[in-house]
Amino acid sequence: MMPELTASVGVPRIAAIEHPFGLTLGLPGDAACQLAVLRAALRALEEMSQPGAVVHLPFEWNSSEKLNIYPPETPPIARYLRRHPWYVPKFLSRTPPEVPEQPGP
Amino acid sequence: MTKIVDSYRFLDGITKRMMKHWATLGVPRQIPWTPLAKPISQCTVSLLSSAAVALKTDRPFDQEIERRDPWFADPSYRVLPGKTATHDARVYHLHINPSFAQQDLNCVMPVERLSQLEAAGEIGRSAPSHYSYMGYTLRPEALLRGTVPRIIGQLRQEQVDVVVLVPV
Repeated sequence: MMPELTASVGVPRIAAIEHPFGLTLGLPGDAACQLAVLRAALRALEEMSQPGAVVHLPFEWNSSEKLNIYPPETPPIARYLRRHPWYVPKFLSRTPPEVPEQPGP
Repeated sequence: MTKIVDSYRFLDGITKRMMKHWATLGVPRQIPWTPLAKPISQCTVSLLSSAAVALKTDRPFDQEIERRDPWFADPSYRVLPGKTATHDARVYHLHINPSFAQQDLNCVMPVERLSQLEAAGEIGRSAPSHYSYMGYTLRPEALLRGTVPRIIGQLRQEQVDVVVLVPV
């Protein structure tokens, strides 16, 4: 999904895939794709021989369907930051306020 | 041509910039490593999905925690048996469109695909239990200190050799 971000926290093995959020293995009902992705990830596991290894799985996302990958409700943090933009630097640096602030919007 | 995955293809402008920045925040550390001890065809394989999947008969993930404190999410986890079908489960993650996984759980938790690999003899067996937690939190302490050790404990008990972590 975001292998660069995953790698940055020191994960032992990564099978990277360029699929949209919420569709890691493939589209609903596309059992062939889901199976191929799972199988490729397990093959990659057998190949990887050193910590931090990344295998880029060769799947191309070419769905002609226009997909809505967004959540039905704006994620709470996005809503919160829109109303409290001065907290954006804290979000960017991944250092949340020490004590939970008052409820979001 | 060799495929190189674009980590940010499905993000819009501002989120893309934020995630690219996050990728620079990692502190160099020793990466843990456990060698694969036997061929995959002999391994017990479990799944761990960050999609916040729970059985409909189980306690739902508490989405209100994140709505009250948007820096944090419900740090608990749920166990899903190897035979879990799509209609048995619900998806509670607040940062994805859950409708795909609600139509077909295998989009984020490929339990049926894993059973197929077991039937074909490509893996030893699908573990008795699979796991899910709620991805996204900027306060990971409860997840790391409470949930993760409990999941590891159960994986050991069930003698799992391989865990496939499925991000969403």
